[in-house]
Amino acid sequence: MQHAAAMTEQNETIVVAEHLNKAFPGPVVALDDFSVQVKRGEVLVLIGPSGSGKSTFLRCLNGLEAIDSGRIVIDGVPLDDNESNRLAIRREVGMVFQSFNLFPHLSVLDNINLAQCLVRGKSKFEATETTGALLHKVGLQEKMHAFPDELSGGQQQRVAIARALALQPKVMLFDEATSALDPEMIGEVLDVMRTLAQEGMTMVVVTHEMGFAREVGDRVVFMEAGRLVEEAKTADFFLRPIQERTREFLRQIL
Amino acid sequence: MRTFAASLTTLRDLVCFGLTGFALVWLVQRGAEQLGYTWHWRQLPRALFTVSEGAFVPGPLLKGLAVTVEITLISLVLAALIGLATALLRLSGSFVGRCLARVYLESIRNTPLLVQIFFLYFVMAPIFDLGRTATAVLALSLFEGAYASEIFRSGIASIGRGQWEACYSLGLSRVQSYRRVILPQALRRVLPPLTSQAVSLIKDSALVSTIAVYDLTMEARTIVADTFLTFEIWFVVAAIYLALTLTLSALANALERRYPRIA
Repeated sequence: MQHAAAMTEQNETIVVAEHLNKAFPGPVVALDDFSVQVKRGEVLVLIGPSGSGKSTFLRCLNGLEAIDSGRIVIDGVPLDDNESNRLAIRREVGMVFQSFNLFPHLSVLDNINLAQCLVRGKSKFEATETTGALLHKVGLQEKMHAFPDELSGGQQQRVAIARALALQPKVMLFDEATSALDPEMIGEVLDVMRTLAQEGMTMVVVTHEMGFAREVGDRVVFMEAGRLVEEAKTADFFLRPIQERTREFLRQIL
Repeated sequence: MRTFAASLTTLRDLVCFGLTGFALVWLVQRGAEQLGYTWHWRQLPRALFTVSEGAFVPGPLLKGLAVTVEITLISLVLAALIGLATALLRLSGSFVGRCLARVYLESIRNTPLLVQIFFLYFVMAPIFDLGRTATAVLALSLFEGAYASEIFRSGIASIGRGQWEACYSLGLSRVQSYRRVILPQALRRVLPPLTSQAVSLIKDSALVSTIAVYDLTMEARTIVADTFLTFEIWFVVAAIYLALTLTLSALANALERRYPRIA
């Protein structure tokens, strides 16, 4: 269904970020006049050296970090000082963190149920139904009653993805979702992300997994020092990079 | 071999323990002798309870214990509420709220409890028409609440930023995040220091005897004044306080074991 929606609205822009500026005390420039747009159903991959502002940009998109200036609009809702707008955007934007951030005092079931009940006003029964389906999707149905500290890193991250999906978000943000994982667990998380992309989920992905970026990404943005250095379709980006800086970076990591 | 060494250590510990206990008893006995003190343990049960016509009649010490327990329990609940509210105010975005919390905290923590009790009793109680017991409860709650607030605050601050971010990214409000995610974890973490604060509260409650609240200590002072059973009464009173605080600690331990998930 999501896939069909993606087909019909293929050219509709869902994430607009214009002229974003952000500095951290120091001062460290995290975003420098950074603009990018994401279309519905598109997978946008952000790459760049560490400290280039990729994660900061992601965290600005759902208001975890405030921008100094610029404009963010998600599915028609502007992210501004209005608290209800901010909550509305967070409800439509799911986020997956590098360090999972599961709630350690809650079971897997309650981790995924919590926001459904609090934010969507579902009954526990309805929420549990959704949670069951999501756990099936990420292949962890048998872990429903386990606690986070009983799971491997890969399993925890898959639960975190299910938790973010539970609100049926319009956009999913992945902030180095596999960077904290042991190598043998990266695959299982990437598989889930790949499936999501195939289903037509709009995704903004910060990753160091170039193989994954190449295979799943529709478009790649290369950032450095808070600036957009190069933006291109995935195939072009990896095969025919235009900027010298991009070529140098790709030489280093490939 | 290891077990032999271990049992040898245990044996040594037991001997040390026995010797220390023996020395303590001997010292007390010697102190009493030097004072020319004669022990009258036989009169003591009457201070605790009497049995008249087969019915159990609590003596002054047990009545005092009831008052102590009552005052302590109410103050415990109030202190926890005040402490939590103060901690949340101090962590809030409101400047006035933070200032208020800070002023309360510093003024309470930097003055003696005894002075606070007198202040409330002689200055505030007439204004607000408070009884002695109410004044005592108020003084204890305000005093322990200030310390509890610092415990709560450190507990809340110890929860990683990632937990907040996970809440926010799911669209939870600040209140929802506190209630369902942050506080449950923070409370579990601060249970041990909170327990010692509660133990302090029980002990500090003895000070309310200074405004003639008939708690355990006040009853003891009255009996000692009447009967001169100084050693016996104070030993028994100390034992009762000890029993009270140990019970509390045991309850807290049980609670900690009940919720092992969050460390």
